[in-house]
Amino acid sequence: MEIKFEPRRGRLVIHAFGRKYDWIIEPRYWRNPVIGFLIWLSLPLIVTLVASLINIKPVALISTLIFANILIIVSIPLVLQIIGTGRVNFGPHFFVALGGYTAALLSKNFGISPILTLPVSFIIGLLIGLALSPITIISRGVYFVLITLLLPFILAELAYWRSDIFGAETGIPGVEVMVHTGNFMNDLIIYFYISFLIGFLYLLIVDRVLRSRYGFLMGVINEDEDVAAAYGIDVNRIKVIVFTFTSGAMAVAGWFLAHYQGSFTGPAWLTPAFLILVLLTTTLGGKGAIYGVVISGYVIAMLREVTRTTFGELSTVALFLILLILLYLLREGFWGLYRKRRYREYEPSIRIRRKT
Amino acid sequence: MLKVSRLTKRFGGIIAVNDVSFEVKKGEIVGLIGPNGAGKSTLINLISGFYMPDKGSIEFNGKEITKSKMYERAKMGIARTFQNPRLVSNMTALMNVIYAVLGSERGKKISLVEAYGEAMYYLDLFGLLKKRDIVVSDLPIYELRLLELARALALQPKLLLIDEAMAGLNPAEAESVSRLINRIREEFDLTIIWVEHVLKILMKSVERIIVMHYGKLLADGFPEEVVKKPEVVEAYVGEERV
Ligand SMILES: Nc1ncnc2c1ncn2[C@@H]1O[C@H](COP(=O)(O)OP(=O)(O)O)[C@@H](O)[C@H]1O
Ligand SMILES: [Mg+2]
Repeated sequence: MEIKFEPRRGRLVIHAFGRKYDWIIEPRYWRNPVIGFLIWLSLPLIVTLVASLINIKPVALISTLIFANILIIVSIPLVLQIIGTGRVNFGPHFFVALGGYTAALLSKNFGISPILTLPVSFIIGLLIGLALSPITIISRGVYFVLITLLLPFILAELAYWRSDIFGAETGIPGVEVMVHTGNFMNDLIIYFYISFLIGFLYLLIVDRVLRSRYGFLMGVINEDEDVAAAYGIDVNRIKVIVFTFTSGAMAVAGWFLAHYQGSFTGPAWLTPAFLILVLLTTTLGGKGAIYGVVISGYVIAMLREVTRTTFGELSTVALFLILLILLYLLREGFWGLYRKRRYREYEPSIRIRRKT
Repeated sequence: MLKVSRLTKRFGGIIAVNDVSFEVKKGEIVGLIGPNGAGKSTLINLISGFYMPDKGSIEFNGKEITKSKMYERAKMGIARTFQNPRLVSNMTALMNVIYAVLGSERGKKISLVEAYGEAMYYLDLFGLLKKRDIVVSDLPIYELRLLELARALALQPKLLLIDEAMAGLNPAEAESVSRLINRIREEFDLTIIWVEHVLKILMKSVERIIVMHYGKLLADGFPEEVVKKPEVVEAYVGEERV
């Protein structure tokens, strides 16, 4: 096997594994994504430094970063779902709880390891998502909102009803944790990187999908389903596929929570407050821009932590007031700040790859 | 190529299309006229699958399509335009053609890049190449009508259903739209059903005219003969532009 580098003007051609890869050296194509990635990667370090400067314990801050990653893991699939189905799902936390309960029950009752509960949680989310996906065809507007809004309430009620199984507000204890190095801080940092990895993977996948022909067609469905169908797009099929896979992806957040906290408490996550934070993350991320979700996830998680430590009893009020103001000021979300030029939704960017 | 039998569509008490039957042969260009509310758009919507009929059947290329879904009919080669231009308003002109290219039968086999190229070609046919990056909501009605046609053509249809391509245009623009339709018809070997409220230009362009009135088929034949029929003249009484 031979790897050969061939510098050309403005790009580097790499021959490897019998194929040819083009790397454009033009910095504007990769500089900002690389910087963004590096910042994301080194957040625990940055946060630890900041914490030592202002003399507070970094543990709370790392936990906040992990919470941000959870928001991101739920919000990235949700953004794809909103674009691909043209509907806003008000029950993403229902799928989080599905994944959480699946992982917790399997781990506690059958001693199944996190490695195995991961695919099972994903598949349960997938199957329930598939079973529920017809709602994207038969309902829209307020009806869709109400149906999806009811799902988490029903699940929470079920958790209270069979508290012998689901543990109600005390949760399911005795779930195997993923990491136990003996050092709490190290554990937290590893949890950060596990959740980071999931979020980053989702970002890559969704970015790919949105740039593909399907992402483009989803943009059309999002705007006008009738037009899409009149021009040969199988709208229902795309909606069902998107709804199913994004449901599975959200369930993974629950899996992470269960094996991170060593327990899963459904009623703690099946709350309007968590739903609102997720919806704010997607909205403030900036419509149609998947990267913005990462930024808004961190800003919102940090704001929550800051308000919690400074406003005491009024912390929730303060948090939502600040977010209200941000919603009002940032009409195009955080991403709109970065991308000031007139912004067109769903414009597919094309990378021409020459075949060998 | 297209056979419509005893097609009926009701909206509440209104019978928008009432027991309509006709056939269109391959390569024909048929004008469909009638006063406002005659049921022309509803007929187009029935053939394209936008509405399902209450009664009757539709056959396309020898295949029964009465129950086929809209996207299936589009893939089979039935394209339509909308009376009130209906484009994805926050997308550019080019993007509005791309999804039609991707939605066509062979759309699966081509890449997004190739679809880009093809969409440019269809825009160029209608003189819209320079407008390709303009967001559709910023385009005037004349260009919207052209874009509707470009998008329909991008589906590579066999049957093209045009719902009022000239409404809202000035005479010069209408004339040029009509010329373009005749040109694409020859170049792409199309069968066309062309709905128009205004008769004059349509008369010159089509070989056959179907007249609808109150949902019913009133007349069907050569343009010169059809417009002389007393029942057609009567249907248009009060309509100044016959
Ligand atoms: N979606 C609808 N709901 C209710 N009535 C409709 C609908 N579409 C059309 N109609 C009625 O059907 C009749 C035919 O309308 P249409 O097909 O638009 O006529 P045309 O295109 O010939 O002007 C009209 O009386 C119209 O009000
Ligand atoms: Mg009409």
